[in-house]
Amino acid sequence: MPMYGDLGNKLVQHAKRTQNLAHLPPYQTELVRAVTREVRDLDRDVAALLEPFQGSFDPAEHQATACTLLVNHLSMRRNKRCLLAYHRTRTDKLEELVWNGTDIVDMAGAQQAGGPAAVSAPDGAAGSSSLSPQEEDYFRQYGDLLAAYKGHWTDIDLTGSLDPPRDLFIDVRVLKDAGEIQTEYGAINLTKNSQFYVRQGDVERLIAQGYLQKLG
Amino acid sequence: MDIDDILREVDPTFHSVPLEKRDLQELTRAWVAERSAPELLPWPSNGFFERINDNIKRQIERVEDMTGDMDPKTNFALIVIQTELERYRYLVRSYLRARLAKIDRHALHYLSTDELRARMSDVELAYATRHQALLHNHYLSSFLSSFPPNLQNLNDSAGINMVEAPDLDSAVFVRLLRDTLVTAKGVEDDNAVKGMEISVALIDVESHDTHDP
Repeated sequence: MPMYGDLGNKLVQHAKRTQNLAHLPPYQTELVRAVTREVRDLDRDVAALLEPFQGSFDPAEHQATACTLLVNHLSMRRNKRCLLAYHRTRTDKLEELVWNGTDIVDMAGAQQAGGPAAVSAPDGAAGSSSLSPQEEDYFRQYGDLLAAYKGHWTDIDLTGSLDPPRDLFIDVRVLKDAGEIQTEYGAINLTKNSQFYVRQGDVERLIAQGYLQKLG
Repeated sequence: MDIDDILREVDPTFHSVPLEKRDLQELTRAWVAERSAPELLPWPSNGFFERINDNIKRQIERVEDMTGDMDPKTNFALIVIQTELERYRYLVRSYLRARLAKIDRHALHYLSTDELRARMSDVELAYATRHQALLHNHYLSSFLSSFPPNLQNLNDSAGINMVEAPDLDSAVFVRLLRDTLVTAKGVEDDNAVKGMEISVALIDVESHDTHDP
């Protein structure tokens, strides 16, 4: 019989591991369900323990019961924190992906080799999504929220690079065919392995998405 | 920015400079302060950012007008303007995202009182409110809704307070704009230092009353 909180601890370990990964590991549906069940069971135990006292429980009189209640009480709250920490770590990761412009389609597992997700998740489980349905919803909703916020700052490009700009023009190499882009100096056809000297602002998105590599 | 710029910035006679230049100075200062402070600083009111936005818009239009002109002189000017524009944009972007990172991290804290809410711009407030609602909703649909009702809150303060706040005891750098007394809490004892203009000190946040001129 596992101790109270063992499962919660597992969740936290998953969260800790997730923090250092480039991709999002599969959602622990079973574990989340088990921890939630433990909370409900504990709550039921508490209610059962208190039942005979009819609301007139005196901790000093029944110390053993009081101790059990306290342990149950703390275990429930600890489990809640573990669940919150696990989910928050994952939503943080999801938000990061939204900021980087990753597409939900790539996340949902319908990846083809060469898609941006293949770069971030080289060992990604093909065919099945690592997100829970709720996380997919969250991903979409946060995307809308960010788009709305960005809409107030259209001239800034909020998702642009956070490194201070040094050069207006940079050398880039094309890692994947990205088709033709329009710049103020005319159209450029980005075919794989070619190299260009372009305005950084024009290609920032493509660099972030892994189509181009900045040189030098 | 080199040392001359820094010295000129703190020169009281510097305020005879044009508005655009003062805007840039104010923006840079806001950016530096925001990035080094552990807590969210008040959003500059009085339409400061509307003006910044207009400046950027105007420069973008100017760049568009100048593009296509094949005169080498214009071309050179164009590069200078575009470089400046990119830097300006970077400042605003970095500033906004530094604020957003703080808001995301302690959303419930900044939403908790009117005084803290007033530090955010309207857009930030809307963002924070909506973001927190999304998160709460996500927790509810993922696990919280099957919890006992008395355990479903996200802002319990009995026992351990669930709402995290920024650490106001962390150290910050301050630059003195004029001579003044700087008091700070130390690890072993508190002390006060007579600060000279332009000196830089590493102190505790709560005593940062010398932050602005």
